[in-house]
Amino acid sequence: MSQHATATPPATETHQEPSYLAVSNVTKRFGAATVLDTLSLSVGRAEFVSLLGPSGCGKTTLLRLIAGLLAPDQGAIEVGGRDLTRVAAHKRNIGVVFQNYALFPHLTVAENIAYGLRAKGVPKAEQARKVENALGLVRMEAFADRAVTALSGGQQQRIAVARAVVVEPSLLLLDEPFSALDRKLRETMQIELRHILRNLGITSIFVTHDQDEALVMSDRIAVMNEGRIEHLGTPSEVYARPKSLYTMEFVGQSSRITGVVKGSSESLVEIDTPFGMIRAPGHFLTGSKVVVGVRPEAIAAGEGPAGEYNTVRGTVAEVIYFGSRTLLHFQTAQEGDRLHVELNRLPDTVEPGSAMTLRWRVDDSRVFPAPTEAAR
Amino acid sequence: MTLARDDLAVPPTPVSRWQFDAKALIAAPGLVFMALAFAVPVLMLVGDSFVDSQGLSLAGYRKVLGDPYYIGIIGNSLQLACITTAVCLAVGYPAAWALARIKGVWQVVLFALIFLPLTVSVVVKTFGLTIMMRRDGIINFLLVNLGFIERPMRLVFTEFSLYFGMVNVFLPFMILPLYSVMRMLDPRLMDASASLGAGPLHTFLRVTLPLTMPGVIAGGTLVFSISVAAYVTPGLLVGDRFMTMSQVMAKAYLNIRDFQLGASMAVIMLVISAALILASSYLVRSPGGEKH
Amino acid sequence: MALFGSLFCRLILGLVIAFLFMPILIVLTVSFSSSAVFAFPPPGFSLRWYASLGNADSMLQAVWLSTQIAALSTAISLVLGTLCAIAITRGMIPGAKAVATFMASPLMLPGLVLGIAFLQAARDFGLRDTYTTLLIAHVVITMPFIMRTVLASLSLFDFAMVDAARMLGRSYPAALWTVLVPNILPGFVSGGLFAFIASFDNYPVSIFLVDVRTKTLPIQLLNQVEMSPDPTVAAISALLILGTIVALIVCDRLVGLKRMASI
Repeated sequence: MSQHATATPPATETHQEPSYLAVSNVTKRFGAATVLDTLSLSVGRAEFVSLLGPSGCGKTTLLRLIAGLLAPDQGAIEVGGRDLTRVAAHKRNIGVVFQNYALFPHLTVAENIAYGLRAKGVPKAEQARKVENALGLVRMEAFADRAVTALSGGQQQRIAVARAVVVEPSLLLLDEPFSALDRKLRETMQIELRHILRNLGITSIFVTHDQDEALVMSDRIAVMNEGRIEHLGTPSEVYARPKSLYTMEFVGQSSRITGVVKGSSESLVEIDTPFGMIRAPGHFLTGSKVVVGVRPEAIAAGEGPAGEYNTVRGTVAEVIYFGSRTLLHFQTAQEGDRLHVELNRLPDTVEPGSAMTLRWRVDDSRVFPAPTEAAR
Repeated sequence: MTLARDDLAVPPTPVSRWQFDAKALIAAPGLVFMALAFAVPVLMLVGDSFVDSQGLSLAGYRKVLGDPYYIGIIGNSLQLACITTAVCLAVGYPAAWALARIKGVWQVVLFALIFLPLTVSVVVKTFGLTIMMRRDGIINFLLVNLGFIERPMRLVFTEFSLYFGMVNVFLPFMILPLYSVMRMLDPRLMDASASLGAGPLHTFLRVTLPLTMPGVIAGGTLVFSISVAAYVTPGLLVGDRFMTMSQVMAKAYLNIRDFQLGASMAVIMLVISAALILASSYLVRSPGGEKH
Repeated sequence: MALFGSLFCRLILGLVIAFLFMPILIVLTVSFSSSAVFAFPPPGFSLRWYASLGNADSMLQAVWLSTQIAALSTAISLVLGTLCAIAITRGMIPGAKAVATFMASPLMLPGLVLGIAFLQAARDFGLRDTYTTLLIAHVVITMPFIMRTVLASLSLFDFAMVDAARMLGRSYPAALWTVLVPNILPGFVSGGLFAFIASFDNYPVSIFLVDVRTKTLPIQLLNQVEMSPDPTVAAISALLILGTIVALIVCDRLVGLKRMASI
């Protein structure tokens, strides 16, 4: 890792304002398995941060640690300068929207929302006022006396959000809240929820395994892998300048070509690959095995000016037509490699077997150390 | 209530993830109580069966298993259980089938009517049965008035009254598990078989019976295991004329105070019950009758 | 042919129901008979056997004792069993499946065997108080009914609700009380009802534990049936049946009979 000290500016530093939520060196083990490994994360006030990763990466465990539903083996958790590490879950004043909402089926919509207010001993009249406001916030005023079991998935989600925010929590945690919704509804609810939370100015941590969801909703994304944060950055940083091969592969589509470093200049390396010499920004020792990554939309057909562009020739293996765009898969020489290109307009004669010339900007190439055999 | 016996709803535990949690202590009072009040006495009883006044001995078992009289009693219990189970299955199967095929509110009503007798005390029902069996009781009244017999006959303390009573008391335990399996069957399967040209008998043997096998096994196990251990009903309906293991056990403890005899008999009954439960859970899990 | 088959099955079902109800209806009929012998059809109608119940002290004592034992043992099983079932369902203890089977296993053992085991153990431990011995034994008898229904209810219960309640400011016990308990109430009601009935009707275990002055109702009833059967026994039986039906209807209003029986 250390040998590819990056040429890109350390963009994430700009977000290191006084942190509101501070997770410091937290470790969590279940038996022999270490689920979180000295993980740290700091989140600013009113920020919306996604924890993105595949199942088993520790994102839900981190969420439950912040909530207080689990206790860390090591490390500390602070919210607003208050150390919560040893504070019981019910005294943390943290709101949670659960995956299946966990609404109380024996209570009505209004009673569900009032539950937390009652637990806190808010006077009856004030409860009613706050419940009404919360229902208004999620545009569910007409449903106050309904049974929660009679609501649709989207409606249940709104009530779950209203129930969590009505107590004015210091932090809101959302555990894959869209996973139970169908795709259309999910997109609508994402935008709506983002809007509501922004208006409330509430600091939110959002757990998801869906990269699109994370890209759409977040101020910043923490890409997680095996109990660690691989990359913490804005959606565009994470997408366009992934810090690791893992992030590059997990977020969005990408091509990857394995090669060996042949030489390097001030800020560029030259890599010998089956597609010929490819240049990319970075610093690597000559002879090290690396992987070049490129986003499909960065690649165009035809030759480019030699200084600024990498130009390769490839043979089309597959043509996948999407209407507005076409995805081309090219033949590769090494296992694990792939070259995917997304074109808006396709030259007429392209079919499997055709040879094509492709180009992409040297700056759009990312280089990572090749994963060792053991890691693959 | 006591339908299929191995369907305790326990989700799989992520064993590797288990670690001690203070909240687990909520299980302690119940577990400790059951260990002391249930497991220890049963284990002590098993131990007692191997001990007499001189120390370790198999005298109890030698007495029970070496004496044709006691062997005959074990045979009686098994015969009682076998016949009761067979009759309950023969009558209960079509009844459960009809119950499962009836639609709407009638199903609920009829279900309740099958279920309700289960909640009535066995002593009360058996008492009613002894009244029915009298020379001037309803059975003789019906038989005479329907012209089956000339004069009332003696029914009390006959094997007829015993089996009549046993089936009466235990039939719901056969019908309910059968019903719960048959209710889940898709009637279109039977129609499909018929539409493929299979005759009713063929459809029954090749489609209906195999699909309802889990219910047959569950109901059969249940009726067998409670009727092999039945005490109140045989005691009142035939008394000493048809001695069963239960009768011997009760006498051993309550009258003749031969504890080793009673304990040995109890352990033999325990073994029969355990063997039956193991066999039925094996049958239900084997491919012949898959678990629903 | 299929039609014939289904008619045949329905006929059997009707006969089965008539058959099952016969002894129960006979007991009810006899209890209103004017005669002291159980002839059928009864010679006339009277309520004298119900009136004579007021003098049947030993019977009333037995009713009262059985009610106490059934209510107390059911209550104890509900508390101990539910706590244990929560730990089992949440995987808080290792070997959850085995523990669940153990807690439900008294139901699989022959009642007499259990009774003998209790009798011997009570002697060996020097437990002489009949009431306490009966109560302990009946907790064991009722536990399987509670375990089965409560485990079934808990398997349908979303424990995220307890977490949600905690995040909204309730402690763990308060979350269980305000969220878990109301949601598995049907399981409590049906399990509790069956546990109560199982204890109230138990003969084979109690027979080894009662003494001359402390007799549960089934023991007292059977004694009476064997010694001096008269319609007083029928009258008390009729009241028991009535009581059971009332209890079933009340529980049906609360949770629905279908749901109760299917667990």
